[in-house]
Parts: sequence; C-alpha cells; structure tokens
Amino acid sequence: MDTKAKLKQVLVEELNLEDVTPDEIEDDEILFGEGLGLDSLDAVELVVVVQKHFGVEIKDMDEGRPALQSINTLAAFIEEKQG
Amino acid sequence: MHTQEQTSQRQEGSTPRSGANWNDRSLGKSWQHQFFYVAIRLGGRRLAYFFLYFIALYYVLCSRGARQRCSPYLRRRFPHAGRFHRLWYSYKLILNFGKVLIDRAVVGIMGPDAFHVTLYGREQLLALRDEGHGLIMMGAHVGCWQVAMSALDFMQCPVNMLMRREDGDVDRHYYEHAGIECPYRVIDPTEYLGGTLQMLGALKQGEVVCVMGDRMLGSDRSSVGVEFLGGSVELPYSAYKIAAATGAPVVVFFTRKDGPASYSLHVADVIRVPQVKGREAQTFAPYARRFSEALEQYSTEHPFQFFNFFDMWRT
Repeated sequence: MDTKAKLKQVLVEELNLEDVTPDEIEDDEILFGEGLGLDSLDAVELVVVVQKHFGVEIKDMDEGRPALQSINTLAAFIEEKQG
Repeated sequence: MHTQEQTSQRQEGSTPRSGANWNDRSLGKSWQHQFFYVAIRLGGRRLAYFFLYFIALYYVLCSRGARQRCSPYLRRRFPHAGRFHRLWYSYKLILNFGKVLIDRAVVGIMGPDAFHVTLYGREQLLALRDEGHGLIMMGAHVGCWQVAMSALDFMQCPVNMLMRREDGDVDRHYYEHAGIECPYRVIDPTEYLGGTLQMLGALKQGEVVCVMGDRMLGSDRSSVGVEFLGGSVELPYSAYKIAAATGAPVVVFFTRKDGPASYSLHVADVIRVPQVKGREAQTFAPYARRFSEALEQYSTEHPFQFFNFFDMWRT
C-alpha cells in the first residue's frame, strides 16, 4: 500500500471520520476547515498518528503548516522524512 | 459537587460561552487606565489604590452594567445573600480586580521587586519539568497570573502563553509598561489551527505552555459541560487532548493576593491524561471536572479573587 492510500485509511480509522471512506478522500482535498472539515484537535491527533504509523515527527508549526494541507503534501512530507 | 456532565462538541458559530463575551480586562475606559498609570508614577501603588476606592464605589453605585457583570458569579457563590450584601460583594470584587490591574501596572512601571511573590510547589514543578514532556500550566482568571509569571524564571526554560487581546482591550500588560520584550512567547488562538501545532511543538521541546482552563479562546469550540458552583458550565478540553498526545502533565495553578504587596502561586492539582484514541468530549470530562473542583475550592476560599465578570452558566 502506498503512502497516500495508507494515510487515507489511517485518517478514517484513527480520527473516527464518519460518512467518508478512504476512497472518497481526494489527494488534493484540503484537510482542515473547508474540504475534509478537520479542526485543531484533529490536527493534534493527526500529528500523533503520523508519528505512530509512519515514524515521522512533525516538530513545529514551520513543518506542520505546509505538510498538513492535503494528502498530497502530507504524503510528500512523510516520504521525504523517511528518506 | 454533582457529576453530571453535558457535552457540546464542535459547536459552530458564536456561543454565549465563547471568549468574545469575556471583557473583564476592559472594565474601565482607556483614559481611566491612563489616569492610574500616572498616579502610579507620581505616588506609587498606594496613591493609585486611594483613587481606586472611590472609583470602585462609583461603579457599584452608578453603573448598572458593572453590577450586572458581577451578578452571575456572586449569585452562584452567595446564593442566600440579600440585595445589600450583593452590592457590598460587588464592591469588593470590583475593588480587588482594580487592585490587580494596578499591581500589574506597578510591576511594569516600578519593576518586579515592587511585589514579593511566594511560590509553593517549586520542587514539584522542577521535577515535572525534568520529565521532559513539557509542562502545561493551566490557570484561571484568579489573582494576578502576570505577577506570578514573573516568578517562573527559575524554571529556566521558555514559557509560552496561549492568549489573545480582545478588541477593545485598553489595559496594558506589565512588560508593555516596562517597555521590555514580552518575557514569554505568545501563541494566538486565532492563528492557524488554533495554535495547537505551536503548543505541540513547544511541549515537544520540553517547554512550558500556559493556558486558561476557564475560558474558551479564539475559534476553539471543543468544550465539555461540568458542574461548577451548582450549575453547568462549559470548559475547554483541548489542553487535555494535547496533554494526552504529548504526555505533558497538566499543572493546575492559581495565584492569589496575600497582602498589599505580596502574591503567592500555588499548585492546586497535577492532572495526568493517558493516551486516548479519538476526541470525544466525554473522554476529557473527568479532567475538566478536576479543574472545576479546584477552581470551586479556590472561589470558596477566596471569593473576591475569582474575577468572573461573565455568565459562565448561561445556556
């Protein structure tokens, strides 16, 4: 399973997203606010989930803000950190 | 205390309990604040207090709005008090609040040595800091947290403060009086994702993050209902979620004015939040309840140092 697919699955399962399946999440869909509709507490959970499932730590705002825009940006961030 | 809780997770739009309705910091007009700043510079704290006694009396007798702001809390705290007593209590509450505003300005204008600050729990705080998960220090609108903050130097690690200035705030922070750089990093809850990423980042670096446990800030709509002074109030639970994610302990701390020129800072509780999956409000209700119990205890012991000018119980 590639990073994007795994991310979508983890998002739905770990954030308890209802009314949406991994397949329905677009790669470029905005995660927070409009789009998928996640909020600040979901961001906390997402940071934990990324570390738990991908071994990648989002350390601060400078890293987090661009990375947490969409599945595309988050997957690229994870793959870059994983080397 | 009752244990019945209600939840109101992800409320949309403005609620009566949101931060926008808190304006306790702006009791008084801009020129009135300026007047006291001049009084402090000319005659110190005592001269400013002298004027304050009359101005507080004016507010209580002539400002229906000021009395109304005191009323929700005082009715809960003193349910059997008659009209005259409530008027007297309103005076004491406004007077004490005015003294705290003056003290805050005195620290900035005359320096932190103008007050003696006693810290209870120093070793405990150092031990918690040394755990390496960062520290969430959760206060409330009691005493004068700004004066107490000046006593946190011993922690020898950066201190971050989740705070924002509401539109219309006219009083200055102590470091603004002193013309010095803000001694703590300000995290604005209206910024991207409510500042949660900044808080997470700070805690991961082992830093201190200060939050208020009795107020919803910015766009935060994550609240849980708990009992407080005989009624249900909504308290924020984001800090507990962040504590669960980082392993940081939540230190409930309150400050109080012990004398004309002395304050103390007390650790009221240390809340450990285990890692939890999900973000259901009910999951965090026990921790919010512990905070409300600590705050209720404080308001029982120091009823006129809980500066609540907002109807927390309004549904």
